[in-house]
Amino acid sequence: MASTEDKPASKENTSSWKDSFYNPRTGEVLGRTASSWALILLFYLVFYCFLAGMFALTMWVLLLTLDDYVPKYRDRVPNPGLVIRPNALDMYFNKSDPLKYAQYVQHLETFLQGYNDTEQEKNEDCPQGEYFMQDDSADMSKKACRFKRGFLSLCSGLSDTNFGYSEGKPCVLLKMNRIIGLKPRGDPYINCTVKRDNPIQMQYFPSEGRIDKMYFPYYGKKAHENYVQPLVAVKLLLTKEDYNKELPVECRVEGSDLRNNDERDKFLGRVTFRIKVVE
Amino acid sequence: MGDKDDRSPKKKKGGTKDMDDLKKEVPITEHKMSIEEVCRKFQTDIVQGLTNAKAAEFLIRDGPNALTPPPTTPEWVKFCRQLFGGFSVLLWIGAILCLLAYAIQAATEDDPAGDNVSNPHTHARTYSHLALLHLINPSLYLGIVLTAVVIITGCFSYFQEAKSSKIMESFKNMVPQVDNSSLTGESEPQSRSPDCTHDNPLETRNVAFFSTNCVEGTARGLVICTGDRTVMGRIATLTSGLETGKTPIAKEIEHFIHIITGVAVFLGITFFILAIVLGYTWLEAVIFLIGIIVANVPEGLLATVTVCLTLTAKRMAKKNCLVKNLEAVETLGSTSTICSDKTGTLTQNRMTVAHMWFDNQIHEADTTEDQSGASFDKSSVTWLSLARVAGLCNRAQFKGGQDPLPILKRDVAGDASESALLKCIELSCGSVRMMRDKNKKVAEIPFNSTNKYQLSVHETEDPNDNRYLLVMKGAPERILDRCTTILIQGKEQPMDEELKEAFQNAYMELGGLGERVLGFCHLLLPEDQYPKGFAFDTEDVNFQTDNLCFVGLMSMIDPPRAAVPDAVGKCRSAGIKVIMVTGDHPITAKAIAKGVGIISEGNETVEDIAARLNIPVSQVNPRDAKACVIHGTDLKDLSQDQMDDILRNHTEIVFARTSPQQKLIIVEGCQRLGAIVAVTGDGVNDSPALKKADIGVAMGISGSDVSKQAADMILLDDNFASIVTGVEEGRLIFDNLKKSIAYTLTSNIPEITPFLFFIIVNIPLPLGTITILCIDLGTDMVPAISLAYETAESDIMKRQPRNPFRDKLVNERLISIAYGQIGMIQALGGFFSYFVILAENGFLPSFLVGIRLNWDDRSVNDLEDSYGQQWTYEQRKIVEFTCHTAFFVSIVVVQWADVIICKTRRNSVFQQGMRNKILIFGLFEETALAAFLSYCPGMDVALRMYPLKPTWWFCAFPYSFLIFVYDEVRKLLIRRNPGGWVERETYY
Repeated sequence: MASTEDKPASKENTSSWKDSFYNPRTGEVLGRTASSWALILLFYLVFYCFLAGMFALTMWVLLLTLDDYVPKYRDRVPNPGLVIRPNALDMYFNKSDPLKYAQYVQHLETFLQGYNDTEQEKNEDCPQGEYFMQDDSADMSKKACRFKRGFLSLCSGLSDTNFGYSEGKPCVLLKMNRIIGLKPRGDPYINCTVKRDNPIQMQYFPSEGRIDKMYFPYYGKKAHENYVQPLVAVKLLLTKEDYNKELPVECRVEGSDLRNNDERDKFLGRVTFRIKVVE
Repeated sequence: MGDKDDRSPKKKKGGTKDMDDLKKEVPITEHKMSIEEVCRKFQTDIVQGLTNAKAAEFLIRDGPNALTPPPTTPEWVKFCRQLFGGFSVLLWIGAILCLLAYAIQAATEDDPAGDNVSNPHTHARTYSHLALLHLINPSLYLGIVLTAVVIITGCFSYFQEAKSSKIMESFKNMVPQVDNSSLTGESEPQSRSPDCTHDNPLETRNVAFFSTNCVEGTARGLVICTGDRTVMGRIATLTSGLETGKTPIAKEIEHFIHIITGVAVFLGITFFILAIVLGYTWLEAVIFLIGIIVANVPEGLLATVTVCLTLTAKRMAKKNCLVKNLEAVETLGSTSTICSDKTGTLTQNRMTVAHMWFDNQIHEADTTEDQSGASFDKSSVTWLSLARVAGLCNRAQFKGGQDPLPILKRDVAGDASESALLKCIELSCGSVRMMRDKNKKVAEIPFNSTNKYQLSVHETEDPNDNRYLLVMKGAPERILDRCTTILIQGKEQPMDEELKEAFQNAYMELGGLGERVLGFCHLLLPEDQYPKGFAFDTEDVNFQTDNLCFVGLMSMIDPPRAAVPDAVGKCRSAGIKVIMVTGDHPITAKAIAKGVGIISEGNETVEDIAARLNIPVSQVNPRDAKACVIHGTDLKDLSQDQMDDILRNHTEIVFARTSPQQKLIIVEGCQRLGAIVAVTGDGVNDSPALKKADIGVAMGISGSDVSKQAADMILLDDNFASIVTGVEEGRLIFDNLKKSIAYTLTSNIPEITPFLFFIIVNIPLPLGTITILCIDLGTDMVPAISLAYETAESDIMKRQPRNPFRDKLVNERLISIAYGQIGMIQALGGFFSYFVILAENGFLPSFLVGIRLNWDDRSVNDLEDSYGQQWTYEQRKIVEFTCHTAFFVSIVVVQWADVIICKTRRNSVFQQGMRNKILIFGLFEETALAAFLSYCPGMDVALRMYPLKPTWWFCAFPYSFLIFVYDEVRKLLIRRNPGGWVERETYY
């Protein structure tokens, strides 16, 4: 009894399956006639155009409310992050094999192009040790303070084009993230330590790893077109004993109110990288 | 005729039970054999019975005389069904993929959970690992969350189901066992004798059946069948062996799951391939696949549906409809045919005096349950005499201790017609007991089938009158034969031909109403022949039993319940065909059918037309008759086509004298024609039909256990009118489930689109998987459930039942509205707040396209925004998660509008009103939950949700408003142009 019931049903099914793609009797494609398809597609076209218009309108209103120079909220970036150049948290090279460290040197060289004297001549020579405050002038554009490559001395790549990598005493550049309106209190400086029993000699450029206040505050990309971040270079004076070992180095911004001990954000005012030099 | 103390089981061929075989009539032939033949067949002795050894041998061969309990599904199977049914499979796949991705990560990486990569690698590899890290670690988290979601929703549904079956069990303990022989549907005790009186074993007098009780008398018999081989056993086996199809709502939900799963798999696979083509690694592509599945599956929806059904079930239980199977809640709403048993469902299951004939006039008695009907003239002297005869010549009496109860509710010891008389007299003339005390009984001849009368002799009330009063009742024609006079207006008149004809007419008329008619007569015995102290001998009748004085007729019927005609009318206006299926006689059945409106006024059967036109039945065109009464024996000879023909062409059908198997065939016939069939019944004989029906409705008070077992729903008050409530609730929940699903599905689009844009245009992810789960299982739940409380938009009892092939729960129009229109507006609302937050924090929209690679790279900690600021990974992730929160809140905001527009499908919200308190509560609840998730301290760690600035809550407001206006306009167009394009394309 059940089988006799099933058979016609399954037959119907197969024909309705075919019909659902194209039904030759009614001329329906996927259950709709051509005009029905045209109508519904037209409806959706108009509907979506309207929605796009509405979205564009609200976005336009949004953009009207925004300031060109300063973002509306800056509370998500209260403290700057600290990053290193070359941009590699694991540095591993053979000091006698230029091919191994070429990428780091190349990276540093490109990065420092913006600090060349030819570029920095345009910038102001600001008074040291105080914020370089500028009033809202008519054209909004702000002057930038000069940071010459030469300030980095041995790590400037001018005297030693290999940034010390060939002699096994590599330079690492540290920079603090740009944040509009940031004015660090105190005298910020960079201090690096190696998590090891006997400390490693390090050389800081500018001296003591100081970051001068004159580079603050930052006024934003549009107003502060020629702004360059202050850099601090650390030259790790590795000795024979330090070669072939992985050295964890941690650098922090000290001496100011800038946070450097956030639980979750390991790059807030500090950075940790590993370095291993093979002889 | 057998009883249980004399075991001699009947031998039966083979153990295989063929269902078709069971559907045929009972193959018992023993009733046609002589006693000797039967003894020979079972090798037994008429006096001594079986020897112990033989009995033991038979016992081993046939097993004990008990019914095999129906197979039950083990609990763990039920649980697994909940755990792996529906969307669970998709979610399991998602969870397994998540854990797999994590396992692969763990295998290739030494420190999968660590923030920093420990081993030196080449640069390129380091970067790719770092880029993946943020995806992999959450994937373990997500895998666990998904597993938890599946298990929790599974447990929830299992718990719900277990709860409703527990209600059923507790209910079973509550109802006392009612003894009624429910095998044939006859409520009267049947007398038995050793002679074969009918070919049909169910009709013959010399067979007694398993599970029926001997009410009066003694007998000795031979057992011919035991256990499952008895008639009862066969019915029980037939019932439990019947394959019941899925409930309509289960089919609808399955259909809907197929659609959603199809969309999910299609999108998932498409974007998996797209991701591979776009150059993502396969691991990333798998994670995208999981995201799409999670976004696509409305995790909370099945739980919502369960809750909605449970709520309706509870509401129905309050109105005396107990639903055993949750899914059956909706079935009544889809029902297009109700096959109703007569006794106990449509009628009160209590014989009641309906008419009387005295003074050459038919008087109508009040048969309503609460005695609210009209009464007749009780002042006639004849009536007093009739009442005296009926009260005295009556062995029934009230059981003790029931004085506070109304008369009709009291229990009576005695047979049904005597009880009816007793109650009738008690109601109209006061205490029968007092009457009997005053008229002491002197002698009595009880009713027997040869005399067909009952007689008793009493002293008179008047102590000075020493005459004896003889009262007699019985079959009217027999009584009439013994009478020579008749009492008219209290005066004895000779019985002439004219009065005899009047009697005949009255008798025919009452009989034609399907009523059982009794005649009453009396005689004051002359004192000279029967002086005080005369010894009446009832064995060898030594007194006058003829030349009596006829007093009147009383007729009894099991009257319809008061609410039934109204309920039948409501069913009819709701497009539901009501068919009466009864084991009772055609005349009675037809009378009741007419009484309750199953055969409506003015509709005639073929026989009626023939009688009216005075032509033979064969000359009447069956098409002219809308109503028909079909006898069980005719039904037996009908072919399937003839059966279909009858069911199709007659709107008002009564099946009389039907066997359990035939009831089943009727139900199957209706189902063959595409109807969704509800069956109501109380007896064992109804249980196969109850089981086969799309929804079986058993009677809670009078119903047998077997019938309750087979049914999906139980009417606690045995009232057919409760079915109408059920239909109404069922239809309402179907409409409301549509609304609920439309509401829930809409939020799928704003959940999927973020992922698609994330993959295609490489923007930071606007909405995370955890927030998606917060919507599906958190904020969407209460509003979706609240839609189950929505009142009907129009009179749902005035429209036709839904067509199960055409009117789907989820159709393409619902998908078009939910996904194509409202969902898209919602997605724009979400994206708008996403862009607002990023822009206000420094990342302008134009800047975002393609930023994803750097954005998600853990080693990039100086990512520049549009204003030249630089962001560490964690800083920008906080912004991203704030965006997730804002997107989530935006969905809540646009869902406000969505739940309000989903309240109605055609009417305006202004017509419908906002009276649904649960819905208003839902609006506040989801908002409060969203605020809690956003502002509660610790949420940034637990769910990575961050506090929003108050203004960000308002980003989606224009879109919420747009949804409301758009849908109001759409519904206005639907109302303005019924059947127009808008209705055809968007009315779901």
